[in-house]
Amino acid sequence: MVVSDSLSSDRGTILRVRGPLEFKCHLVSTDARHMLKVISRTFETLKSQVKSESCVLTVCDSPVIIWPNKDVYITPQEITPNAPCDDILKWIQSDEQDPAGLRSAKKKSKKSSAASVINLRLMMEATKTGPLSAPILSRTVQKSHFLSTTFPVDCVVRTTVNETIKDAFERLLKALTHQLCEMEKVTLQHTKGTTLLVPEPLHFLLPEPKGLVTVVYPAGVPDSQLEAQRKELHQQFELPDDWPYFRRANTYHFPNEPYKDGYLRNPHLVLTHPTLDNGKVYLVQGTYSYHHYMQDHTDDNGWGCAYRSLQTICSWFQQQGYVERAVPSHKETQQALVDVGDKKASFVGSRQWIGSIEVQAVLNQLLGVTSKIMFVSQGSELASKGRELANHFLTEGTPIMIGGGVLAHTILGVAWSETSGQIRYLILDPHYTGAEDLQVVTDKV
Amino acid sequence: MGRTYIVEDVVEGYLTKQCEQTAGPVSGLLIGQSSTQREYVVTATRTPQREESTASGGNSPDKEWVTEHARQVSRMLPGGLSVLGVFIVTDTDAKDTLTTLRQLVFAVENLISSERLWTSAEDDVSDRVVLHVNPKTRKTLCRTFDVKDPKSVAKPADWKYQSGVCSSWSTVSCCVSVDVLLPLPDNPTATEDTAKCLKEGLRGWAHQLESAVCLIDGRRLAADAELAGGQKRNVRQTYSAQLLITPDERRLAEGVQRCGGSVSVSGAVYSTAYLHSNKPKARQAEKLLKRDAVSTLTTRAQMLLEELLTSGGASEGSSRDEHQREQFCLPHRVFCPVEASGPVCVCDYRFSDEGLSEVIDRLKEMLDMDAAEKDLDIRRETPAEVLEGDAADEPTVETAEALQSKRNYFGAAMATTVALLATAASMLYLNDV
Repeated sequence: MVVSDSLSSDRGTILRVRGPLEFKCHLVSTDARHMLKVISRTFETLKSQVKSESCVLTVCDSPVIIWPNKDVYITPQEITPNAPCDDILKWIQSDEQDPAGLRSAKKKSKKSSAASVINLRLMMEATKTGPLSAPILSRTVQKSHFLSTTFPVDCVVRTTVNETIKDAFERLLKALTHQLCEMEKVTLQHTKGTTLLVPEPLHFLLPEPKGLVTVVYPAGVPDSQLEAQRKELHQQFELPDDWPYFRRANTYHFPNEPYKDGYLRNPHLVLTHPTLDNGKVYLVQGTYSYHHYMQDHTDDNGWGCAYRSLQTICSWFQQQGYVERAVPSHKETQQALVDVGDKKASFVGSRQWIGSIEVQAVLNQLLGVTSKIMFVSQGSELASKGRELANHFLTEGTPIMIGGGVLAHTILGVAWSETSGQIRYLILDPHYTGAEDLQVVTDKV
Repeated sequence: MGRTYIVEDVVEGYLTKQCEQTAGPVSGLLIGQSSTQREYVVTATRTPQREESTASGGNSPDKEWVTEHARQVSRMLPGGLSVLGVFIVTDTDAKDTLTTLRQLVFAVENLISSERLWTSAEDDVSDRVVLHVNPKTRKTLCRTFDVKDPKSVAKPADWKYQSGVCSSWSTVSCCVSVDVLLPLPDNPTATEDTAKCLKEGLRGWAHQLESAVCLIDGRRLAADAELAGGQKRNVRQTYSAQLLITPDERRLAEGVQRCGGSVSVSGAVYSTAYLHSNKPKARQAEKLLKRDAVSTLTTRAQMLLEELLTSGGASEGSSRDEHQREQFCLPHRVFCPVEASGPVCVCDYRFSDEGLSEVIDRLKEMLDMDAAEKDLDIRRETPAEVLEGDAADEPTVETAEALQSKRNYFGAAMATTVALLATAASMLYLNDV
């Protein structure tokens, strides 16, 4: 089953608005009924703020500002509400990396195979037309409680090709209001006593035609406790139950958004495929992060290659949502081997090399994942395993660790011709000792 | 190269008048705008007479009184206007006078800057002028001191009179809505905590404004862009501004916390700033306007709390409804032009129980201005009114506990700790050193 991890640009651009909304209220009692009433009332205030003429959306990296509730008033006035949404793209300056990952000098956004995202910031206009009444200071002295937090609004709308700004933004406003309703539901559901969980919107990419879907989860609640909610979502969207779509790890990663952990994701995607006669390419499915020598301030130059390959594989399981466990450090890997009785306690903290058998044991111990080991006595035998490797990538889609002698690597894919038997391997090399720079990493290949 | 001061003709006449009166040395303040290239002095005002008999050491002005006057005057200056320095009209020896002037100008600066909720920027001019006029010889001595440098020495400066200095200055203004809600700490001593809470809350609001996106006449201008943008120079311009805010990133506390109540400030303030006509920059306009918005709200809140202290309890303009909520109206802002035909105005704050005559009296006492009621612009803001119907907003708590009448902590605190609160109020907005 293939899950595409990038949106095609057949349909229009994506509008994404983010911004904090302050949520404050004074609770005279912690009686549950009263709290729910006050919280609901505060949400009504937030909704009316978002629907008011003071609600403003500013386009990031651009002078464009839009008032969606004032007949979609836009400044600069050269842009009219009836212009197509894509016109806004012309006003955005960007000197970041383009979707292919290569650094580009300041240039207007060029056509790429991924959909464009217009990032907007939600703000409020503090100024109004006067004259208005001078301020009033109110004081209530009473032993009570105060609730203060900020909600991270994050709302996405996929425009259709040639949709006007007016229509798109009116839809965006509706989506914002809807998100506030969802947030209200989650907040009311998860408010117990004096704890409040912040509702956090996350986006998930479902197979076409459903596309991007936004779900509000209570922040801080682990995936394990949200199973009922996910089951409901799978039913609602008619998705199979055996492939994760709505775990936190499945969150859609927008192009040009940096990853918080700093690791490169899927660096192989920028490479071009080799052409073989009648050859097809079989690649790892989903996302993994690139682990190699010298990362995490660990100097494992010369001995850590299999550990790094193992880390890459573990990252795949985590990012597809199969496990919540973070990628294991070398010590954790070593400890796991001690725990299963494969190594003596002195192994932990050592610089001893491990092989495929150990990797299998660790995957089983730490992730509960079973793996198959395929033996090849000589490198030349690998070519004959083309069909098996191709099949693996088609059905399982995980990266493959290959270890032999004193080296270990990760195979990310094969280009294999059924007719000629020719085969090429896509290798992720854990022996790299440089920085997380996509350009350098792919040039070396 | 010293600073250059371009001074309104009117000020010359005023200083001459001070020379002619014989009651002893006269001190006062010089008011105007600084810019990197030169300074503009728009008006001057003598230190008002103290009510108690002036049997004090005749020739030297009372430092505390002068600085207090400066503090009050500073509150009456909209954005773009500030106290630029101090003058003395005396026939005492020039050297001694210079020393006195130096002390005065540093003291004034310290007091005024301690009240601010905004921090001064790197590019703010820190030179202040001292002017010594000898009434017998009519000689004027003009020097500047750098108030950021405690060891600064007097530098010469040019003092030039000119007519119509501010007649074609630009005005930027807007009406900023305020909606601040804060928890009171969890113990019953009331007013001190209200003051502290308010200070923190207003600091957060000031920070929001400082990072707000500013639009001038509907457009976001580049920081270095000129305000006039290619239009004829020396033609008076009025601009309206818009401010776009997002919630402050730093928050007081997350989640549900116990509190002793809440305090809120809600309404709007009219904010305005003046800019000299020599190629003013958009960035300058934005900075002065935002500072004015913060100052006007801070000043009014402080005035209200001072008023509550002196009137010993609930003021005339307050009302308490059955939900133990007290409401106080902040004074509204009234403007008066400095010269009949110019755009530049000073301002004053009028409480709901005052008439316009009180405003006129204060303008005379503080700024030595002879204003008539018809000169006053009172329509920029409408006076705040407490509506009885507002009680509908408050939660009606059905538990028996809440229905017990609670004592008015505010009144009790007032009666017993006036002296303490007096100190608290005067330290209200001191920056933490």
